[in-house]
Amino acid sequence: MKKNIAKVVVFLLIFIILFLCINKILWIAPSPISYFYNEPKETIDVVYIGSSNAYMHFNSVLAYDLYGYTTFFLSTEAQTFALAKYLMIDAEKYQNPSLYVIDLGKVADDMDSYLGEEFRKTTDSMKFSKNRINAINEVLSYKEDIDKKDYINYYFSFLMYHNKWKDISKSNIIGSKNLYKGYYFSKLTDKIESHDTYIWSKDIIQLPEENKMILLNLIKYIKENNLNVIFVVPERYFDETFQAKINDAVNIIENNNLKVINCNTLEELNNIDFNIDLQNAHHLNVYGSTKYTLWFSKYLKENYNLPDHRNDVRYSSWDSEYKRFKDNFKKITDKNFDDLLLEYTNN
Amino acid sequence: MNLTTLTFLVFCFITILIYFVIPKKFQWVVLLISSIIFLFYDNLHISTVIQALLILIPSYIIGIQIEKNSNTKKGKIFLIAGTLIILAQLFYLKYTNLFLATFNHIFNLFKIDYQFDFVYRNSLIGISYYSLIMISYLVDIYRGTCNAQKNIFKCALFMSYFPILTSGPFIRYGSVGKELYEGHKFNYDRMVRGLVRILWGVFKILVISQRLGMFVDSVYGNLELFNFIFTFAAMIAFTLQLYTNFSGSIDVIMGISEIIGIKLPENFTLPFFSKTVTELWRNWHITLGAWLKDYIFYPLLKSDFMQKLNKKCQKRFGKKVGKKIPMYLSMLIMWIIIGAWHGGAYTFIIGSGILQFVYMFLEDTLGQISDKINKKLGIRKDVFSYKLYQVIRTFLLFSFAMIFFRASSLTNAFEIIKNIFIINLGTLMNKDALLNMITNMGLDIYDFAILFVSLIILFIMQLLARKRDVREKLLEQNIIFRWVILYILIFTIIIFGCYGAGYDATAFIYRQF
Repeated sequence: MKKNIAKVVVFLLIFIILFLCINKILWIAPSPISYFYNEPKETIDVVYIGSSNAYMHFNSVLAYDLYGYTTFFLSTEAQTFALAKYLMIDAEKYQNPSLYVIDLGKVADDMDSYLGEEFRKTTDSMKFSKNRINAINEVLSYKEDIDKKDYINYYFSFLMYHNKWKDISKSNIIGSKNLYKGYYFSKLTDKIESHDTYIWSKDIIQLPEENKMILLNLIKYIKENNLNVIFVVPERYFDETFQAKINDAVNIIENNNLKVINCNTLEELNNIDFNIDLQNAHHLNVYGSTKYTLWFSKYLKENYNLPDHRNDVRYSSWDSEYKRFKDNFKKITDKNFDDLLLEYTNN
Repeated sequence: MNLTTLTFLVFCFITILIYFVIPKKFQWVVLLISSIIFLFYDNLHISTVIQALLILIPSYIIGIQIEKNSNTKKGKIFLIAGTLIILAQLFYLKYTNLFLATFNHIFNLFKIDYQFDFVYRNSLIGISYYSLIMISYLVDIYRGTCNAQKNIFKCALFMSYFPILTSGPFIRYGSVGKELYEGHKFNYDRMVRGLVRILWGVFKILVISQRLGMFVDSVYGNLELFNFIFTFAAMIAFTLQLYTNFSGSIDVIMGISEIIGIKLPENFTLPFFSKTVTELWRNWHITLGAWLKDYIFYPLLKSDFMQKLNKKCQKRFGKKVGKKIPMYLSMLIMWIIIGAWHGGAYTFIIGSGILQFVYMFLEDTLGQISDKINKKLGIRKDVFSYKLYQVIRTFLLFSFAMIFFRASSLTNAFEIIKNIFIINLGTLMNKDALLNMITNMGLDIYDFAILFVSLIILFIMQLLARKRDVREKLLEQNIIFRWVILYILIFTIIIFGCYGAGYDATAFIYRQF
């Protein structure tokens, strides 16, 4: 009997080792969030949470080069706002950052937008934990078409990614890099006619009950844990109804004595020109994001006690990623990024 | 709860763990509780609970009454009453729409401006299995081949033993009943054998059957896009899909039972090496065939009506031909029932019923003529090439019938057949048309390669299985070789299996019965 038990144990151990190896090879990170867990402890100063408006608007390597603090994006494309709280829980567990920036671009999203599978880009990138399961459960609770018995497909991402063997590449085996520390840039310019007369509405439309509940839960979590948070309404095009709902969200946040910035109404950001600085209606291009970063990184440095790591060798990867960004910027735009910075700073 | 899901894996693990931890005399209670959970897992509703009780309670009471009144007219009345109660429910839940469709056709035929709306009944998983199992339970008591179960909970376990609820096999109270209630000691070798069988079954389902299904669904779902070669290939693929899905789920079921210590009857023995359709059905869903022979065919053949018919036919057509008429009639009735058992639609009655009867009838009646022709032409029947021809012919005939089994309606079945027989060679020369077919066939080059290799492995295993028990042979090998093979099998399933998000996971074709 003892011999048989030993055989079973050894068989299972070998199985687990092989499974972990194969899982590592097959798993293609659905978003840069997965890199967060590999960052050395206590090295992230600011965590920026939100949708693509976060990592396309704020150039974290530029901010580092200017002021020396590190910013990590816990952001994915069209990120469900309800996930912000759970990302903060993970951030507290692994990094304990000094400040959170929470993008409000999706705060008023219709619950229909929760029906898609987009949220998996975030949850599948999160480390397996009770927190991740809670995050999945909350989002799925808004999806009426998913049977509770099928939740298991969301808990274990391998059930979705095991068939990625077809797309296996060198990076699966040697691992891929989190380019520019998560910042993503585009040189494309899309001129939206309506932007010429884009004026932020002063109307207020109440957030739908579920959205309000999600926001209040987040505020409750922030207050209970005494976290340093700044909410940001990203500079981009929103329709009037959405603007009015965001205004309600801003009121709710301010009434709870938390800081919120609406970039669309700030005079300091008037230099962002919707005719040349947008990649499309919903995102800034690299020129717009540089203007935003120059102002916002300075704002954060001046208003929050953020450290400067620029002379610390442990942070050398931030310098090299900034260099990589500048090199690639030059390749793509045929312009020198330092010249651009000079131009924007002088203006 | 599908057989190849994590939920089922965890469910079985917990059941087996508790089963071997508690004292032997309570082990059957664990199986009963698990069976109840399994039965109602997907469909817990007051109506489904009533459905189960409406079969269990009458079967239990009537079983005892039949035993008390054995060999009496009263016993026979009890048996008929019990059978009718079970059948009434089966018909109500499964065949209402078949009758309504028939009436609608008749109304159309007579230009009566009225159509019944179809009704959708909420029925329990495995109703076709446990209904027939309970009928055989009552008949066996009446025949005196087994005793009635006096404990209603034990009776409930026999009716609902969870592994067999999805795809069978049909169990008999006389042979399996006792094993369900007696305790079993954990046995390591039995566990290993069971696990190997489960893995092989899961491989067949997730790696082969699901992929074949993707191809079949694409072709049958877009017939206008595909030419005769693709439609023909889909016809073959569906037969293989059905086989790998059904035999794979039987492997999983047998493996679980083997671990527990309950030996279930085999349901497949290499059907596609059969040289006739009759032989194929002796190797395909064996327990269903045996059930229908024992409880329908022979009783029907021995019935007063058939005996009288036999005499009349012998008088009129002579002894040789005359005695075959009641046999064919009984066979036809049995095959219509087999077809109907598979589903409440004419496609099933034709595909897995009437057509199979026609094949067997022709094999029986034309066999002698064919022998004479072969003799005159000097065609040898004992050579490999002739046997191969017979095997391929049988496979193609069976596959053709399965078009009806797979089709959504009779019209759809005829569309598929039409697509196969309209041979448009132009589509083979047209590069764009070919490319369009290849890109829409539901499998990319990688899936196709995996499928091809897996089918070759399956074929080799089947060839080996004709001469020896492959599983036993594997387990005789040294530990390193054995483990390497097992790890390859496990990781092939994990990596190349079609499961989880993105796949319409593992809908078992036989589950609907």
